[in-house]
Amino acid sequence: MTDITTTADDDCPKSIALVGNPNCGKTTLFNGLTGSRYKVANYPGVTVERKEGSLPLPHGSCARIVDLPGTYALVGSSLDEKIVTQFLRGEIAGNSTPDLVVAVVDATNLERNLFLISELLDTGYPIVLAINMMDAAERAGIKVYGELLSRALDIPVVPITARTKSGFSTLLNEITKALETPAPSSKKLAWVPPEHPLRQTIEALSPLGPASSDANVITTIGSLRYAWIRAIVRKTTSQSSNDDVPVVSPLDRLLTSRIWGLPIMLGIFGVIFQAIFLWAQLPMEVISGAVDTLSARASSVLPPGILTSLIAEGIIPGVGNVVVFVPQIAILFFCIGFLEDSGYLSRAAFLLDNFMRKVGLQGRAFIPLLSSFACAVPGILSTRSIPTRSDRLATIMIAPLMSCSARLPVYAVLIAAFIPPTLVAGFISLQGLVLLGMYILGVVGACVVAWLLKKCLLWKESCFYVMEMPPLRKPILRIILRGVYDSVASFLKNATTIILACSVIVWFLASYPKPELGYQGNPVQASYAGRLGTAIEPAIKPLGFNWEIGIAILSSFPAREVFVTTLSTIYNISDDDDENTGLVKTLQERNQAGLFSTLTALSLMVFYVFACMCMSTLAVCKRETGSWGWTFGMFGYMTALAYVASFTVFQLGSLFLK
Amino acid sequence: MENSATTLIKEEKALSSVRVGQKAMISAIKSCPAELLHKLVSMGIVAGSEVTVTQRGFFGSPINIHLLGSVLSLRSAEAAHIQVQPL
Repeated sequence: MTDITTTADDDCPKSIALVGNPNCGKTTLFNGLTGSRYKVANYPGVTVERKEGSLPLPHGSCARIVDLPGTYALVGSSLDEKIVTQFLRGEIAGNSTPDLVVAVVDATNLERNLFLISELLDTGYPIVLAINMMDAAERAGIKVYGELLSRALDIPVVPITARTKSGFSTLLNEITKALETPAPSSKKLAWVPPEHPLRQTIEALSPLGPASSDANVITTIGSLRYAWIRAIVRKTTSQSSNDDVPVVSPLDRLLTSRIWGLPIMLGIFGVIFQAIFLWAQLPMEVISGAVDTLSARASSVLPPGILTSLIAEGIIPGVGNVVVFVPQIAILFFCIGFLEDSGYLSRAAFLLDNFMRKVGLQGRAFIPLLSSFACAVPGILSTRSIPTRSDRLATIMIAPLMSCSARLPVYAVLIAAFIPPTLVAGFISLQGLVLLGMYILGVVGACVVAWLLKKCLLWKESCFYVMEMPPLRKPILRIILRGVYDSVASFLKNATTIILACSVIVWFLASYPKPELGYQGNPVQASYAGRLGTAIEPAIKPLGFNWEIGIAILSSFPAREVFVTTLSTIYNISDDDDENTGLVKTLQERNQAGLFSTLTALSLMVFYVFACMCMSTLAVCKRETGSWGWTFGMFGYMTALAYVASFTVFQLGSLFLK
Repeated sequence: MENSATTLIKEEKALSSVRVGQKAMISAIKSCPAELLHKLVSMGIVAGSEVTVTQRGFFGSPINIHLLGSVLSLRSAEAAHIQVQPL
């Protein structure tokens, strides 16, 4: 290896694969062991990206540890599950086969979890088994005798509680021992009785696939494995109190009830959208005030000149007007994180499956789509847990129609400027309602597109929906806050790189060339940007947009938030007065002067609901579909849809408002 | 194969037609595509497993079942492949 970045490999020569069922706490264990910060969610199949960390071992050495996607079996059909098998076969580029497998099981659900372990035993890999969630098992009256289980499986077994990091030192010792003297279990194929008629057939199957397609063989293997596991579980565990705690709690029953389930879900999402506006108001005003002061201070303190103009009119308002949205983004991610970690999202998938099936998708597509409300990039990545290709493609194609957090600044600034902050029915804010409307519009569009795609383009494949419902639990604040921190940090990183660069470019294009002496009009209109905007004005006029909005739209094709940046830069340059006022105030002044109508604002919001203006989304679409056709298709259909929808809103609106 | 007469008191039916709250023992999985069969088996749906139907959605689908300490959600179309004996 010559690459300098692989020096870590030389320091940590051994590698470990972390394997387990979805929801067994594998990722929590990974985070605890490596001390790195990653996302943990209470939904099967969320670990879609390969996560690698370095694990410090007791004697000062270390090992590389890879967190593999959660899987129920080594012969699974979804992409996530295939990744695990490929990794263990050593077929994933850049990874040799691991030296050790650390398998994680959930103590409260041992039988089901041990199915994967029985498959792992057949592979001949040395294994260390971590029995996680010992605290939850204890509360449920379940006792697991680790030593007995260790003897039964012939592998080291360590009881742990990943959330509180208990049992970690014992686990690290066992891992170190197993790395020094790897010992595969003697229990390979122990679940097949020697005299079984299918013994030879089963022995001929490779433990890492391809699996048998004979129904009789599949069910026989399943029954034999579970019979073997059941016998072991009976010998190595005990269940003390069995006073039939209801398996479905009353709260769970209410949340998934046929009568109350959907209204409650709508209520929850309604509250989230209200919260985004109401709770964020105060911190946003503080930030916005600070940006104005800073900008004014910059123009008064710095000597007049190009640099001052760039800072006071380009950079500060450009970046500042985006940073203002940090409180709203933080609240959105807090709410999504709360729903994710509590297990509510799976309930929503349950409630929506009928509906999703009607538009040709499945309940499981709901999670990628919901993640896309935060950002389409993780949304598209999490479609990997959808087993059928056509379902997955359809979900990828509609994911960017979910209004992501980058659209929030656009909606927020337009709503704040044009929608009066009145209350509907006494307690519902009209602004929150319009915001919710934009989100719903995106969802409706997505349903239509999905339906058309499945009907016309994607052939019908056999598809199925079998999903584990994780238990409802009290979400852990630390985990939610970590998610909030990550997303705000990446938003701010965006603001200081792409948006900063865009605001400098926009400032330059909007400031130069300087108008000739005696020029009476708006100085921006004479600039490069103004000329460009004027050139495309005929095309966007039917949508209600003028050349200024045209510039803002063009500049926001790399990232939607830039729209806000550009608009504030343009207005700051074109305003004669030295005073820099907030974008919302400027827009309201323009509205009163008849320069920017409420209908234009609505049409603009609708445009942003549908338009595909995000480089990262297109890049991840190319990566996940492996096809330029689908990538350009996504960009093309969304742009066309945006144009048509916006055109309809403005033209119909003009008719009615006459 | 064991074929005890005692388990045949109640007649076999598809899991998709079991009402909420009913306990049942899985007896067979029938005419099921291999991929789905692998999935069901890995989730613990094998002959001899005990399941309880816990919830059903609108029009009876999806159907949630409790087995081996966790709750699984599947569509009635998939549950139709699973033959059970009510207990």
